[in-house]
Amino acid sequence: MILDWNSVWSNLGMLVDGLGVTVQISILSFLGALPLSLVAALSRRSRWIPIRLVAATYVEIFRNTPALVQMFFIFFALPSFGIRLDAIVAGVVALALNIGAYMSEAMRAGIQSVPNGQIEAAASLGLNGRQTFTRVVFPQALRNVYPAIVNLLVATILASSLLSTIAVPELTGTATVINSRTLRTFEVFAVVTVMYVVLTNTASSLLDLLGRFFLPKERYA
Amino acid sequence: MDWPVVWESRGILLHGFAVTLELSAIAIVGGGIVGLVVAVIRFARVPVVGPILRVYINIGRGTPLLMQLFFIFFGFPYFGINIDAFAAAVIALVAYTGAYVAEIVRSGLESVHRGQRDAALSLGLSFPQMMRRVVIPQAGIVALPPLVGLFIGVIKDTSLTTIIGYNELMNVSQSIVARAPNAIFTVYVVLAALYFIVCYPLSLLASRLERRALVGQQR
Repeated sequence: MILDWNSVWSNLGMLVDGLGVTVQISILSFLGALPLSLVAALSRRSRWIPIRLVAATYVEIFRNTPALVQMFFIFFALPSFGIRLDAIVAGVVALALNIGAYMSEAMRAGIQSVPNGQIEAAASLGLNGRQTFTRVVFPQALRNVYPAIVNLLVATILASSLLSTIAVPELTGTATVINSRTLRTFEVFAVVTVMYVVLTNTASSLLDLLGRFFLPKERYA
Repeated sequence: MDWPVVWESRGILLHGFAVTLELSAIAIVGGGIVGLVVAVIRFARVPVVGPILRVYINIGRGTPLLMQLFFIFFGFPYFGINIDAFAAAVIALVAYTGAYVAEIVRSGLESVHRGQRDAALSLGLSFPQMMRRVVIPQAGIVALPPLVGLFIGVIKDTSLTTIIGYNELMNVSQSIVARAPNAIFTVYVVLAALYFIVCYPLSLLASRLERRALVGQQR
């Protein structure tokens, strides 16, 4: 067995394109999941039971069924109700909904982790409910959940590979195409492995760095 | 809704469900053993082997399971080793689960205060005794909730093996849909429900364990 890397190098452009698609769908899904998760987390603390119930149903269904099932449902089953989405749109929507459910649980834990004394102090200073949330609770909650959110970005990148099953030409899908064309399985997947490891490590270090600059520092230990 | 289609297919659906549970159990037990061994080796700071295992963990947790499945399913025959979908699914899932278990267990072990270990060793306990009687009981409380969370993920992730043609629940459902395309909505609802009834109780268990671990920390 002699390894032949030439067939990988001559297809490197295609792999890089696939990597680009992976990055794009990961960022889009992640950005979609952020507001979704905040709304879901706040809804679960709502005074109105129906709102709590809707949010809880969403979170529990999406956390307890496979992402692949969710994506196939959106891409293959929704057209029978007249909702036809492009593969890439269906994939991003499915990923955003899936990651959003996990993120909302992280957000909820973060909000709960802010000590009651902080809220009481805010109230005694005359802040109203919205001010208390945006200026006191949310910044501290964000700091507490930040590591979990960084992990979820990595999870989003890994889950984006599922889009290959609905023919979106992202990195994993591109790898299988080149594999069947060149039959250089080991070489192709070794390069793709390195690409994914570099991408996920870079993404999490970047977010870590970002957090260090922009997150409020711990001032009340 | 096309309940008759689902009802007629109940036999193969339940069989697929059983296959999914079986594959999940193999992945969880196999990955659990691999992860435990890797975690202890890394925790004990064994030279050479430790850093190599770090590379394994980095690849296992830094690449998608779907890619790992393809790599193993196509890669083994490439080196002249014939492999069927079941063997590829088991190898990929065990390796994948093991990498995550290793990190969860290791961070659990390292959460036990250094003084606890020093105290145990100064009392004359050997390394295995120290691990068994002092470190593992305390690490377990910390590591258990994320482990249960991971196992829920593994059960759901077995659905990916349909892509390499392994005949588990997802694969069975797709073949039912292929024969009765109009029943797609009903079939997928049933499919999702079958995963849900396994995963939801485990999710409840995970959050209960998490609350218990938090109480332990506050003391």
